Amino acid sequence: MDNPSQGILAIDGAERPSGRNDQGLVAATLTDATKPRFAHASEAELARILDFYQVEWRYEADVFPITWNASGLVTESFAPDFYLPQIDLYVELTTLKQSLVRKKNRKLRWMRLLYPEVRVKLLYARDFKALMIKYGRHDFMAQVFDANLHNSPGPMTPEPRPAARVTVTAA
Amino acid sequence: MTIHDDVSEVLLTGEQLQARVAELGRELAADYADRQPVLVSVLKGSIVFLADLVRATEIPLSVDLMELSSYGSNTETSGQVRILKDLSGSIKDRDVVVVEDIIDTGLTLNYLLRYLHDRGPTSVRICCLLDKPARRLAEIEIDYRGFTIPDRFVVGYGLDFDERYRNLPYIGVLRPSVYGGADPEA
Repeated sequence: MDNPSQGILAIDGAERPSGRNDQGLVAATLTDATKPRFAHASEAELARILDFYQVEWRYEADVFPITWNASGLVTESFAPDFYLPQIDLYVELTTLKQSLVRKKNRKLRWMRLLYPEVRVKLLYARDFKALMIKYGRHDFMAQVFDANLHNSPGPMTPEPRPAARVTVTAA
Repeated sequence: MTIHDDVSEVLLTGEQLQARVAELGRELAADYADRQPVLVSVLKGSIVFLADLVRATEIPLSVDLMELSSYGSNTETSGQVRILKDLSGSIKDRDVVVVEDIIDTGLTLNYLLRYLHDRGPTSVRICCLLDKPARRLAEIEIDYRGFTIPDRFVVGYGLDFDERYRNLPYIGVLRPSVYGGADPEA
């Protein structure tokens, strides 16, 4: 292969600079087909909300390259937390450390520049808090969310949901 | 101590609400003349808006009510939204106007629209008093919009926090201290 970047992009199924980057192979390594391991409790909570309203979701289903080096190798990419296929919307939660927000904002700017046709919604900590207040999830706020603003927990697996009718990813 | 004390700011006065609701009623009356629409409203937040809207819509129409379980308290017993009160009548071949108090994430309405469309209406349109697009996840095409509001925690005119404040005659911003936050001036 002449261009080493083509090898990497081919494995990743990436297209550059535009077009959705279906990362089925990569997603399969990140998540279990039935029980994705969420990076943060807020992600598991959002999954439960989406389940509740019967909105299909996929966890970290796609990866979008956003920067390349001179050789064409992908040096940075953006993998939104959720993809909602029925709504055709990616959702990224920024409820972890505040210091990560600036980095995510920068990634999102690049994402919107390089993939203008892709809809991404960024939910900040304040947005997620407001959702929790709206849904009366004060216990969740107190036990998990506030503490995790400064101390990221380990990966979390959602509680089993009997009757869940949701498509959980890993293509 | 009254319910007004928990409001930090009046976002929309009663007069503003009445004026806009009257306009929405006239719009609906013009668009649905001779079509006798059924206005479907979701309990409980929409009841005040619905009551004023129907009186401002001077054409023959009917009203139906639904109630859906909401995420939060019900999540322990059921993983999915449930219909606590279904439509009383058929909407097959009817023109339906969904009357909502506020559209935030759009998830509830997204579910409701799928449910209603499955019942064979001629048309379904959305009439909402407050559109809060900041946290929208499910894109909803709003046909009749009262006001677009900023990302604030609002109560009153039917909207509640923990079942309170529905009886405020205006739309107010709830003090953060009421729901566990810190008031800016504190």
